[in-house]
Amino acid sequence: MNFIIGAFKPACNVSITFSDGKSRKQVPLKNENGQTVTVPLFQSQETIAGKISVEPVSGKKVEHNGIKVELLGQIEMYFDRGNFYDFTSLVRELDVPGEIYERKTYPFEFSSVEMPYETYNGANVRLRYVLKVTVSRGYAGSIVEHQNFVVRNYTPPPSINNSIKMEVGIEDCLHIEFEYNKGKYHLKDVIVGKIYFLLVRIKLKNMDLEIRRRESTGSGANTHVETETLAKFELMDGAPVRGESIPIRLFLSPYELTPTYRNINNKFSVKYYLNLVLVDEEDRRYFKQQEITMYRLQETS
Amino acid sequence: MVLVLALGDLHIPHRASDLPPKFKSMLVPGKIQHIICTGNLSIKEVHDYLKTVCPDLHIARGEYDEETRYPETKTLTIGQFKLGVCHGHQVIPWGDLDSLAMLQRQLDVDILVTGHTHQFTAYKHEAGVVINPGSATGSYSSITYDVNPSFVLMDIDGLRVVVYVYELIDGEVKVDKIDFKKTTGSNT
Amino acid sequence: MMISNGIEDEEKWLAEGMAGIQHNAFYLHRALDSNNLREALKYSALLLSELRTSRLSPHKYYELYMRAFDELRRLEMFFKDENRHGCSVVDLYELVQHAGNILPRLYLLCTVGSVYIKSKEAPAKDVLKDLVEMCRGVQHPIRGLFLRSYLAQISRDELPDIASEYESEGDTFMDAVEFVLQNFAEMNKLWVRMQHQGPLREREKLDKERNELRDLVGKNLHVLSQIEGVDLEIYRDTVLPRVLEQVVNCKDELAQYYLMDCIIQVFPDEYHLQTLETLLGACPQLQSAVDIKTVLSRLMERLSNYAASSPEVLPEFLQVEAFTKLSNAIGKVIEAQVDMPIVGAITLYVSLLTFTLHVHPDRLDYVDQVLGECVKKLSGKAKLQDSRVTKQVVALLSAPLEKYNDIVTALTLSNYPRVMDHLDAATNKVMAMVIIQSIMKNNTCVSTSDKVEVLFELIKGLIKDIEGTSTDELDEEDFKEEQNSVARLMHMLYNDDPEEMLKIINTVWKHIMAGGPKRLPFTVPPLVFSTLKLVRRLQVQDGDVAGEEVPATPKKIFQILNQIIEALSVVPSPELALRLYLQCAEAANDCDLEPVAYEFFTQAFVLYEEEVADSKAQVTAIHLIIGTLQRMNVFGIENRDTLTHKATGYSAKLLKKPDQCRAVYACSHLFWVDDQDGIKDGERVLLCLKRSLRIANAAQQMVNVTRGSSGPVTLFVEILNKYLYFFEKGSPQITGAAIQGLIELIKTEMQSDSTTSNPASDAFFASTLRYIRFQKQKGGVMGEKYDPIKL
Repeated sequence: MNFIIGAFKPACNVSITFSDGKSRKQVPLKNENGQTVTVPLFQSQETIAGKISVEPVSGKKVEHNGIKVELLGQIEMYFDRGNFYDFTSLVRELDVPGEIYERKTYPFEFSSVEMPYETYNGANVRLRYVLKVTVSRGYAGSIVEHQNFVVRNYTPPPSINNSIKMEVGIEDCLHIEFEYNKGKYHLKDVIVGKIYFLLVRIKLKNMDLEIRRRESTGSGANTHVETETLAKFELMDGAPVRGESIPIRLFLSPYELTPTYRNINNKFSVKYYLNLVLVDEEDRRYFKQQEITMYRLQETS
Repeated sequence: MVLVLALGDLHIPHRASDLPPKFKSMLVPGKIQHIICTGNLSIKEVHDYLKTVCPDLHIARGEYDEETRYPETKTLTIGQFKLGVCHGHQVIPWGDLDSLAMLQRQLDVDILVTGHTHQFTAYKHEAGVVINPGSATGSYSSITYDVNPSFVLMDIDGLRVVVYVYELIDGEVKVDKIDFKKTTGSNT
Repeated sequence: MMISNGIEDEEKWLAEGMAGIQHNAFYLHRALDSNNLREALKYSALLLSELRTSRLSPHKYYELYMRAFDELRRLEMFFKDENRHGCSVVDLYELVQHAGNILPRLYLLCTVGSVYIKSKEAPAKDVLKDLVEMCRGVQHPIRGLFLRSYLAQISRDELPDIASEYESEGDTFMDAVEFVLQNFAEMNKLWVRMQHQGPLREREKLDKERNELRDLVGKNLHVLSQIEGVDLEIYRDTVLPRVLEQVVNCKDELAQYYLMDCIIQVFPDEYHLQTLETLLGACPQLQSAVDIKTVLSRLMERLSNYAASSPEVLPEFLQVEAFTKLSNAIGKVIEAQVDMPIVGAITLYVSLLTFTLHVHPDRLDYVDQVLGECVKKLSGKAKLQDSRVTKQVVALLSAPLEKYNDIVTALTLSNYPRVMDHLDAATNKVMAMVIIQSIMKNNTCVSTSDKVEVLFELIKGLIKDIEGTSTDELDEEDFKEEQNSVARLMHMLYNDDPEEMLKIINTVWKHIMAGGPKRLPFTVPPLVFSTLKLVRRLQVQDGDVAGEEVPATPKKIFQILNQIIEALSVVPSPELALRLYLQCAEAANDCDLEPVAYEFFTQAFVLYEEEVADSKAQVTAIHLIIGTLQRMNVFGIENRDTLTHKATGYSAKLLKKPDQCRAVYACSHLFWVDDQDGIKDGERVLLCLKRSLRIANAAQQMVNVTRGSSGPVTLFVEILNKYLYFFEKGSPQITGAAIQGLIELIKTEMQSDSTTSNPASDAFFASTLRYIRFQKQKGGVMGEKYDPIKL
């Protein structure tokens, strides 16, 4: 469809503007072509309103079978690229069939739109929100214009947020106790904690803390899991002895994290893990992975 | 100007343990050109010590010297002066000036230095001087009672010699001076 | 296959590291010049990554560190200036923590931390606490040590000390103390851990490398000592216990030794004195291999110097009972370190002794106590053979001598001889020599026979042969030197009281008798002269001591002298004995003891007849006999005749004619003593002179026979001079005519001796004639007397 649009000069220009476009926060978004564009940022329950103008090219008239704007929330699985599953679909009819001779502007408004999921660009799945304007024409093919926008939803700090504390080890070899101060972190949070060495009989070389993202798509037998290491943060250099306690302080802000997504529309999940990795002098790795919950905290500034 | 140290009859270790410290501090190396020693050192350590004060050392043999190769008498010439040294136990009666004068004639010297009596003396006679520097340690003597440590320093300058006598009396060093002038040709 | 050279490799790695730093420093400078914070952080982290190497020895790593350090200084300047990078210091403090690698991250954090404190936006103590805590992440010993040393370095000027600008409410010097203590503890742990870093066979190399790093650790103690707020109380209650806890618990000998020494060196002496118990309490807890003796020695050395610095501090020492504490501590250490060699224990006692000599010079009991401890340690052991031990024992025994400059003090120490008993023969002698030298140097007078007894017991190694020691190996020179020292020593044994002096002489005699024929020639003469001096004192005193039993009479003393000299007969040493007999004879003469004097002379003649064989020795001996006899006035006619007869008889029997001649004319003086009451027997004088003239003639004829020409006329001139002597003295038998005849004789002889002229005898004759001329010209009585003589 896009191919056809590109092949002919469109008969008219369609542009979409948001009513609070100047004041609204803009965020970068990678589009299909891999280019980063700046798009407005919304959250659920916000009203999305604006204007759509249709302007025929140099005085030609445009005949149409009606003009509409749709607000779509879509999930695209990469194994089935191009096939969008709409979990949200709202329509506003802008014009009845007729002819347009000159630039014509239509206001639109979707009030208090329910957008439960956040925009997400993953390894195997993409969740996007888009405004789609369609100028329907019969034989000549419809004229379609898209405007992406990003949705992020904020969560208040959890009322219960227990630390993660655990003793692990390999018998007679290595025994450690580690502690992360919380189980749930917001995206700009700091992980504070410590690792306490109860027994060390191997010659360690170093110790890293990794942040791993586990994205699972599909369901049942078709579940596909993709794990990415987003951060590799060296906690310790050299070999500790029994009784040493190594501090952890990891600032999350430099990393591109998202909140934890659990079973989004039965299509996918995104989970985060802290992976503590100890490496010995023979490059053997000993690790312990712990899930943490990520959430988005309303930024105050 | 030449400085000649004359001393003897130290009798270390038979009769004294060492030179008086006050003397030792005066006898610094490098100031004295010759040493004339009347003997009875009596041991090698003393010889070695004198050598450090001045390497040009002339010793006559005393009856207690362990070194038997020292000569009975010795003569040497310093500037215009001819000097002789002998311990003195060979010259009888001991310390007798007339007998020493005979030795001086025999050695044909202007200055004769002898010891043995432990008593400082300096006599001018006829055409010469006879000097006894006494005992540098003030050691016991059968001849002299109440011996004070003493030595002699001769300052020889041309035809003139000034004899300084250093004597340790009650812990203090006393200096005496005797002038002697040689008349030219008296010895030819 | 190439065998790689470890050192070359290291050089290469260092060069690579340096190049890496250089490279990144270039971009860093560019970023700094353009005030680009992001780039600056990126390149500084890259630059610091070079410090992550594990391939360099501490020495080389240090070079690399210093290079990076310079760059960090520039970066710090940049961080300080917010205008340049537009980032608040608080944000900066977070920003640098984003670095993924820990080592660069922590270096940057420390650098920003220093700026943070200076900005005063956060309390210094909080920042310091955070830094010291975060640095735990580096557990690699070398990297950790350097990182923490960097932390110590950059924080040095920012410690919240008293009166420092970083001291504020709730931010006190105690936080600074806490910070330094913690950093010290961590550094020490890392340092100790270094020893486990390599294979066991490289232990030596590791120890060497560790030693190179020790000052990084010690520096913390130095910083602590510089904190104004650390007064005695804080030191006693906090600093010292905490530091000692580390020292003891690390259980590492190298660290324990170094740190103990460090504590002693960096903190004030006054503190040590007031915390002795704590400090010393740690000593027995140290590893047994720790060289604790050196540590304690240094401590005592410092305290000694402190005591010497001012008399005002001495009460402090008494107040804290320093000696007792040190003494106890040493006891405990020796007990705890069972493997400590003897030398270690003795070294400790030497230090303790030095300490007490400095601090409590009046407490001789302390000195004796220390010596007693040594005796305990040495008892049951064989004689010491180890030269290091004996050296220490000598030092131990020398210390009191040096301090008191007085052997008499040492003689009162009951344990002194007991320590000496443990020395081997050679060292015992060395020590004996030290004792004698001390006496000589200080001109110490040993004034009672009891002290002499103790002294001779101490130096018995020199006085007699010690059983079980071989005498074959004795070095002749050494032996002579030792015996001469003993001889010199005898002049230092003296008392003004004759009774006590006699006791001293008897004591010495008792000891030297045991010395055997080797030693007697050295020891007898000084004893004889020492005794003769006593005789002279008694003689000078009023001799009227009738009735009472007085032991110290000249007569009794002469008996002792006789025995002493007789002892030389076993040597035998006849020439020396003969001289000593003559000295005694003269002394007896002065005491008016004719039989005694006669006895001594008889002894001298016996020796002359039977023992003196060498012709040259005979000549000297006969002159001494004549010379002495000439001075004797105690003899009655009979005794005198006997002795003069013998003397002239022996004179005429000398081997060589010239010697005979001279001895015989010397005998002429036996008959003419030129004083008021002197004997004046001109007849016998003339007899002697004529006899000598005959001998001179005979000598001349012998020369004629052997050489075919006349010999030198010296003897004639000598006799001529003797004639002149008695002529002048007024002997009626010596006439001018006789002198005239002798002069003519000599002239004739000289003319016949035309072939071989002898300048010496010519000069002698010439000066004799000149003398006669001089006497003639003098005028007066003498001039008249000489007038008839024509030249």
